[in-house]
Amino acid sequence: MKTKTYETMVLLDNALVREDWKKAKAAVTDTLAKHGATVLTCRRFDEKKLAYPVKGRNRGTFVMCYFTLEKETMADIRRDWELSEKVLRSLILRVEEVPAKEHELAAAEDSADFVVPAPPPDDMVEEEPVAEAAPADEIMVPDLNDIDMPAKG
Amino acid sequence: MAQQRRAPTPPITGKYCEDHMPDYKDVEHLKKFLSAHGQIVSRKRSGYCTQCQKALKLAIKRARHMALLPFVG
Repeated sequence: MKTKTYETMVLLDNALVREDWKKAKAAVTDTLAKHGATVLTCRRFDEKKLAYPVKGRNRGTFVMCYFTLEKETMADIRRDWELSEKVLRSLILRVEEVPAKEHELAAAEDSADFVVPAPPPDDMVEEEPVAEAAPADEIMVPDLNDIDMPAKG
Repeated sequence: MAQQRRAPTPPITGKYCEDHMPDYKDVEHLKKFLSAHGQIVSRKRSGYCTQCQKALKLAIKRARHMALLPFVG
């Protein structure tokens, strides 16, 4: 089978990025390597507020990777990321070649003086306080004997 | 009196499309082609040719999947 090049964008949980950036990046690259992919470049794309909450998060870190894959294990990679709690979203696309700019950006990130800015703390969606259920009032059952029924006839 | 016909819209040259090819990562560019409610604007408003409008649609849908752009609003 011919080797093909792919581009992937992964949305990572900010909690993982706060712990350690290398560990967060490894969550992406390890999955790729596990399924026989060769990672060409991998870099931090952006950290931003999401357009809508994803798995209870308002913010997330995007990671951009280019890799080659020979085997037909794409479905396994997708499934692994879908089941992972660290990965919020992923998108894998087929590309012809890695853009020249990507190599430069990835190299800049690998340099020693690159520091990952700490994500802002407001990435969790604030849950609305659940109002305590008011005690149900006792249902008044009228005593049928007390009701004056109109006399028939 | 004969009703005046509207002048046909001049065709957009390929140059425009080449310079502004939509990409799902270029969120600021894609935002220009969304209405106030987050809908994709028509070809008439975007100025893209048929093929590039399709590419724009795909790019916006990919950006929406990655939570870079909203589905609504």
